[in-house]
Formats: sequence, structure tokens, C-alpha cells
Amino acid sequence: MDYFKLTWKNIIRRKSRFFFTLSAIAVGIASLVTLLSLGSGLETEIRKQADVLGANLVVTPRGWCAYEQISVLTGESLPEAIPNTDVEKITAIKGLTAFPYLTQRTALRNQPVPLIGILPTRMKQFKNWRVDRGRYLLDGANVVIGSGIAGQFKLKPGDELRVRGQKFSISGILQEVGNRDDLAIYMNLATAQKLYAVGDKVSFIAVKVDDITRIDQYILEIQAVANVAVSSDKQLLKSVLAIVGSVGSALKLVAAVAILAAFFGIVNTMMTAIYERRREIGILQAIGAKKRTIFSLFLWESACYGLLGGIVGVVAGFVFSYFAAPYIGQNEFTAFLGSEQSVQLFSAGITLKSLVFSVLVSALAGVYPARQACKLSPVEAISYE
Amino acid sequence: MNNAIIRSEKLTRIYDKGFRTLALQEVDLQIPRGSITCIMGPSGHGKSTLLHLLGGLDRPSSGKVFLDDIELTAITADRLAEIRSRKIGFVFQFFNLLPVLTALENVQVAMMLAGTGKKEQAERATELLKLVGLADKLQAKPNQLSGGQRQRVAIARALANDPEILLMDEPSGNLDSRSEEELLEQIGKVNERGKTVVIVTHSETVAAMAQQIVSIRDGRLVSGGANRAERPGGKSL
Repeated sequence: MDYFKLTWKNIIRRKSRFFFTLSAIAVGIASLVTLLSLGSGLETEIRKQADVLGANLVVTPRGWCAYEQISVLTGESLPEAIPNTDVEKITAIKGLTAFPYLTQRTALRNQPVPLIGILPTRMKQFKNWRVDRGRYLLDGANVVIGSGIAGQFKLKPGDELRVRGQKFSISGILQEVGNRDDLAIYMNLATAQKLYAVGDKVSFIAVKVDDITRIDQYILEIQAVANVAVSSDKQLLKSVLAIVGSVGSALKLVAAVAILAAFFGIVNTMMTAIYERRREIGILQAIGAKKRTIFSLFLWESACYGLLGGIVGVVAGFVFSYFAAPYIGQNEFTAFLGSEQSVQLFSAGITLKSLVFSVLVSALAGVYPARQACKLSPVEAISYE
Repeated sequence: MNNAIIRSEKLTRIYDKGFRTLALQEVDLQIPRGSITCIMGPSGHGKSTLLHLLGGLDRPSSGKVFLDDIELTAITADRLAEIRSRKIGFVFQFFNLLPVLTALENVQVAMMLAGTGKKEQAERATELLKLVGLADKLQAKPNQLSGGQRQRVAIARALANDPEILLMDEPSGNLDSRSEEELLEQIGKVNERGKTVVIVTHSETVAAMAQQIVSIRDGRLVSGGANRAERPGGKSL
């Protein structure tokens, strides 16, 4: 006989109560794990997309909101608002190279896909793209596509596709780069502007600078020549992560409420257990249990609820986040999560944090009942009927 | 009495829960080492209170209890728990076994609290249960045992840490006459091994085996130290 065995036998003596108390803590921890897992997936994906952009500065129209900032990173379609004249002025500044983007959407076999208008030669150099099949030709009749789109729709060089009623030939397929660049159709900027009737405007401009130490000066120079907003890639990333973080904090509050409910559930379970087992507490005291032994037994018992509920909750949380991600991904704001690789199926960090949190919360819930238990006098406890 | 293992001096216990109840009043008592002592008297007159105080389960309102040279009434709760664990064994009227544990585990748990290793626990608990005739009931839960069997498990548990004293509170109160006979046999065996036994009882049958009878009425000791040999109708062990 050991203390663990005694604790375990006491925990499972009332199976339905064990089940429901465990469920309460498991639900709380599962909701926490789900939010941490989705939140961490979202953050990872945002960082990845920021790397994909590869720019030092991002030039956007003044007054763009958070959603549009995120869309710069995700490649979602954006309104066109920067005229070519501004693009030219910015391009003329010495020490930087500008890459204008017109991000739109088209459909392939009734499924939406991103279509991005670019300056072909400049963008190829900037992104260091390589052609996997066919050739790199973007003009009024030819487009190139990412490897993901080619695989998904089984397209090959020479195939035709229609954009806004006009036929285009696929001149080439880019080599896989493992990010969202694989999932778009690339069109000559002028052709795209004409096709989407946006005049001479672009959605935003990615800017690469020659001297990174002069980045603040470049920002001032760009703002001096054009009425635009300029953010560094780090600022953009920071502001997007801050938005995602504040949404995440609100959701974590919801999980905290669930865990708080479980906390009181454990207090209630332990108080009931002590009430029912008063006589047994007295017996243990009569045969030599010290007060701190009684305290420890009940504290271990509630911590065990936390450990077991935590394990169930962690597993349920990861499973739920895996299945929930595609549905959450339908929201444009969280569209990153539509891709499975952005959801963490398992994270040692989240698992460890959640289990430690679960055990600590449950042990804390057991402190008051355990104190009540060890306060009982042996005679009173034994005489209890 | 020089060979007293337990003695009390002016032992008084007052319960004060809304109204005051004088449960025990200035009891002076000596329990001879190696004896069987019975505490008798009407219900509610302080017998169990006296037993609890002698065993360090309760604290007196005034007065002192000594176990050998240790003043139980002056030591900390932890020290008292250690003494209960190693020097005193309790047996109660309602058996008071832990219902989730088997007979073997109920005996082991007392040793666990005393810090005995698992292997030794298992060996000694098995040996004790064999001694009380329950070799075939090691894995039985209390609800699978008769009253007499439960009481024997309780005796085995009380002897688990080889205590010097066995304190029994109405041990035959819930037993039929056959089980009571078996219990007496067990008590006799325990006493033969040199243990001091103090029994609170209403049963004349149990009292018949005592070397000392102590009578309590209204919380006061009305007779004590009467030698078993002097009691008419008594039988020797």
C-alpha cells in the first residue's frame, strides 16, 4: 500500500462523480489547448507569410485597416488604391527597388484562386523564382502559375484558362517554394489592371532597400514623394501580431471562465468527498495519520483530477483544433488556418504548459477542502454518522 | 502502581457546544502493563471519552495522561499521531475499516502511515490476518465480510505496528455470541503476547476475562482497580 494507491482508490470510488469532475476540467483545458493551438498556428503562419513577402518596407494606401494589413501577408484580394505615378516616384528613389502588387481573385472550376498582377522580370529576380515546366512568359495572352495550383487543378504548360471571359495560355509552372506563392496565378500587371478595370492602380508595393540601416530615412523619402503609408516589415508583422494577440487574449478569457467553473467543480467535489469520508479521516488519524498527511492526501486527490483532466483535455483540444481549423479558416481574417499545416497537431510546449496549469489549478482548488479535512478532530470524525 | 503503562491524573473533559456537558470528572486511573482492563458503566456516562483520552485521540479540558513517561496531554498533535501509530492500536464498535480497501490493504495502511516499506507491509499484514483466522479473506472488501470477520481485520490492523497497548471500544457491540467468543479468543491471544488491553464494554462475558474492572458513572470513577481474582463468578483465561 502506498499513498498513490490510496488516493487513486478514493478518486475512483464514485465513478460518476469522478467522470463529471474530470469532464469539467477536461473541457476547460481542451478549450485552452484549442485556443493556444489555433493561436500559435496563426502566429506561425503570419510570421511565415511575412518572410515570404521578403520586403523591407510595405507601401499601402493611407487609412488601411488591420484586415487589409493582414491581407498583404496572406495574398488575399485587396482594393486597388495606389496609382502608377506613385509607383514610378517611389521607384525613382535611389537605393530601393519597388515591386507593385495588384491582388485580385479569379476562379478555376468554380473555386476561387488568387490572381496577382506583377512586373514579371523584376518580381522573378526579387522572389528568385525558378520555372519547373514551360517558360516564364507573362504578357497579354500568357500567365504563369504556382506549383500548388498546377497540382490542385492538374494544369500543365499550354493549357488554357479564362479570366473575366478572356482566354490565357499557361506559359509555365513555377518551382515549388513551399508557401503561398505556390497557390496563385501570376499575370502581367498592365494586363491585370486592364482586365479588372482598375485603371493604373495597384494594391500595395513591396520595397527592398539596399541599405537596411537607412530604413527610417527611406520611409521619410517615400512619404515625401507619395501620399501613402509606409511600414517596415517588422512594424507590419508587429501590428498584425498585436491584433491577432488581442483577439487571442479575448478567447483565452473564455477558456479561463471554463477553467474557473472547473475549479469550483473540484472544490465542490472535494468538499463533498470530505463530508462523506469524515469517519474515514478519523480512522486514518486514529491509526497514526498526521494532519499534514490528511492534507496531502486530499491535495493529491484534487491534483490527480487536474492531471487526468489535463491529459484528456490536451488530447481533446488538439483533436478539436485539427477538426475546427478548416471551419475557422472560412473566416477571411483567419484564412491562414484553412491550410492544415498551420494547425499544430501536437506541441510539447502547449502540452506541458496546459498540464502544469491544470495540475496547479486543481491543486489550488483542493487547498481549502484539504485544510477543512485536516482540521477535523479524530474523535469528532470517528463519531460522525 | 509501579508497573502502570498508562495513568491519568484528575482527567476532566467538558464538551462545550452551545451547552456545557461534563463528560468526565477528575478521573485518576492506572492501567497495569500487560493486563486486560475493562471500563464499564451505563451508556453516555463517559467510558468512550475516557478511552479516547487515554489513547490520545482527544485532549482533556484539564488533567494529565501519561503513557510510560510521556505526557500525552503536553505533546504536539504530530507527536501524538506518531505515538498512536507506533504504541497504540484502536479497535472500534463499528469496525471502522476503510471501505475501498481490501482486508490486506486495511492492515497495510496502518503500516504505510508508520513508514513501513511495501514488502514488509504485505508480509506482516498477511501474517496478522492469518493469526486472526482470515488467511482466505486477504482480498475481500469489508462489505464482503461478516461482522466478526471485520472485527478481526480491525484487530489485525490495530496490531500492525506491534503496539504495546490495544484500546477497544465496545468491540463486541455489533457481534453475535459466536463472533463474540471468537473475539475473546483473539483478545486472549493478544494479551498472551504481552500486550496491554483496555476494553470499553457492556458485556459481562468480555468483562469476565479482565484482570481489572473500572466502573464509570456520570463521568466519575466509582470503582477501579478491582482485581479480576476478587470478582465472584469470574473465570480465568
